[in-house]
Amino acid sequence: MSHDPWVWIGAFLTIGILSFLYKENPFYRFCEHLFVGVANGYAIAVTWHLILTPRLIMPLQGGNYLVLIPMIIGLFYFCRFIPKLSWLVRIPIAVALGFSSGVSIPAIIQADVIKQIQGTVVYPHLFANWQQGLWAILIFIGVLATIFFFFFSREHKGILKPVSYVGIIFIMVGFGASFGYTVMARLSLLIGRLQFLFGTWLGLIK
Amino acid sequence: MQRTIPLMIVLIIGIAMLIQFFIPHKISKEIYMNFLDWLGIIASFALVLGLGSLINHHIDKIQRKREHWQYSWVTLISILIVAIIGLFGGMEGKGPLPVQPQIMIGNKLIVIKYSIQTIYDNIITPLGGTMFALLAFFMSSAAYRAFRARTFEATLLLIAAFIVMVGVVPIGYYISPKLPHLAQWIMDVPNTASKRGILFGVGLGVAATSLKIMLGIERNWLGGGK
Amino acid sequence: MKFWEYLLKIDRRIVFLLVGLSVLIPLIFPFRIKTNVMPYTQKLFDVIEEIDPEAQGILISADYDPQTMPELHPMFIALLRHAFARKIPVLVMTSYIQGPGLAKQGLDQVTKEFNSQAMTNADSLIYGRDYVFLGFPPLWLAAVLRMGSDISQAFPADYYKNRTASLEMMKKIKNYNDIGIIVSIAGSAIPQSWVVYANTRFGVKVGSGATAVTAPDFYPFLQTGQMSGMIAGLKGASEYEYLVHTKYNLTGPTPATKGMSSQSIAHLTILILVVIGNIGYFATRRTRES
Repeated sequence: MSHDPWVWIGAFLTIGILSFLYKENPFYRFCEHLFVGVANGYAIAVTWHLILTPRLIMPLQGGNYLVLIPMIIGLFYFCRFIPKLSWLVRIPIAVALGFSSGVSIPAIIQADVIKQIQGTVVYPHLFANWQQGLWAILIFIGVLATIFFFFFSREHKGILKPVSYVGIIFIMVGFGASFGYTVMARLSLLIGRLQFLFGTWLGLIK
Repeated sequence: MQRTIPLMIVLIIGIAMLIQFFIPHKISKEIYMNFLDWLGIIASFALVLGLGSLINHHIDKIQRKREHWQYSWVTLISILIVAIIGLFGGMEGKGPLPVQPQIMIGNKLIVIKYSIQTIYDNIITPLGGTMFALLAFFMSSAAYRAFRARTFEATLLLIAAFIVMVGVVPIGYYISPKLPHLAQWIMDVPNTASKRGILFGVGLGVAATSLKIMLGIERNWLGGGK
Repeated sequence: MKFWEYLLKIDRRIVFLLVGLSVLIPLIFPFRIKTNVMPYTQKLFDVIEEIDPEAQGILISADYDPQTMPELHPMFIALLRHAFARKIPVLVMTSYIQGPGLAKQGLDQVTKEFNSQAMTNADSLIYGRDYVFLGFPPLWLAAVLRMGSDISQAFPADYYKNRTASLEMMKKIKNYNDIGIIVSIAGSAIPQSWVVYANTRFGVKVGSGATAVTAPDFYPFLQTGQMSGMIAGLKGASEYEYLVHTKYNLTGPTPATKGMSSQSIAHLTILILVVIGNIGYFATRRTRES
């Protein structure tokens, strides 16, 4: 069993959150609010030491007064609290939005659309052996049918119906795969916490 | 003016970024690099604003005595204590005070560290980790209750999930050495096909929305008011 | 008929208890189980094996927080061990405001492991010479694009407030040209964004350590080669631990491998629960329909 008081605190808080499994209770609510507080207290320290100090304070100390321009734009965020000037909050938002929009359009079209089309039509190992060729054709059909099911707004009847149905089959198998993996993910998190409780704290796990 | 200026900023910066992507000239590159550095500073204030809003919310909750308002004290006091420890002690793991408390348990002297890192390791980590670990229980219960082979499509979903669930863990190999391969095939072929179909939609959607924002067709981000 | 109905109505607390025990008992009494390495884990391992430590470094982006730590932290540790065992210069950053603490914890743990075995100064891992912790950038996208031309400008100071450009390692590693691979360990779609902005734009290789929830979404990128390998979930982490520890004869703790007995039994438990639910459903369907 651990002799470290901090490990005991960690164990106490872990049990507090797990107590929610029985029902919601004051102990759980305390832990929940403590988490929000401590996490944000930590964020304040990170913001000061890792963001404002190296990007603003250190350049100013070094005589780089140009950083005052983005600082003033950044300070416009706080105009939100001054009714007469509240529209100024739109300026830093506009800068960030303009930047992310302009940068993302070509990058996303290239990475998520063009390269993916290439990957579907020109499968890298297409001619390696007959199996690879077959799977490549299957992926091609699957992609087309999925796109068709999701995005073709015309009513799915006549010849369109079987194509859309193939799309559903691929989507169902895809969702099934995702579910199988999700089970793994959630259980892994529980394994981690039980390793802490029964290993680090109680010393029952070697 | 209150709407036109922000809309113009979005348009000009958006187009500048697009041009920079396709024609990376030396001068435009220089401006672009400085702009990237400035963006970091501007974004810092958004983080500060977020923290301010959270504190405001809890003060308001206490003042109006909303449901469970007493717990807001827990949040506010813990923000204050941790922020003091972090701001004065630094990220390096030193505490804000030169001396750290010591206690004797049996014949063992234990130093109680209270640096930002110890608080992170022993409070944030167990609380955050356990909140998500709860999902293991809820997911199992939901799967048992709702996962039914009602139709052919649902049966397909169930079979794929079973193969992946067993195939990806080591025990799958002992049940049948072919199971991991089958699970891998499901991931590589039908899963890839369906995820790619969705990806196209998301990719085109993001590009279209970005374009609408740049051109001022999408204006929800301006919020209310003039 | 009552028995079949009972199968449909097992109390949720009993389900919770069964799942909890199926995880706990194999943790306390584990059994030996063979690790079968999946192809994309092997691929990531091979890419890192091919990096020339004299010419290039590795950037590990610990893009996760305590919520997904049990699944992702073992990957971070295993990747660090791999890079340090090969003497590859390591850069660490995080895009989560809650992330620096975990990255620091992992770096402290692994450097301590290696330094306790070191005999000479050359064998030791020294901060600034062998590894650098860049910290957290306020705007991830701006930092990722800035790093394409100058990493030291994207992070003017490191986690310990040293001027990044003044660190010995950073004189060799200027931008993505000097990075063999970026591995983003994340519980979100961030590895995909690394592909979009770092791989597509700058041509640097990108790999991922993903939670099992997000891993299926990355298969389209693995198939096109935009992503050079992936560690998927705790099982993937155990595969990577196995690969690194076998090849380099390491002895540090392997939490992912230790969790595999539990993972296996718990998966079977959930599968049995779903089967029981379905048996109950089909056995009582006729009664319900009539």
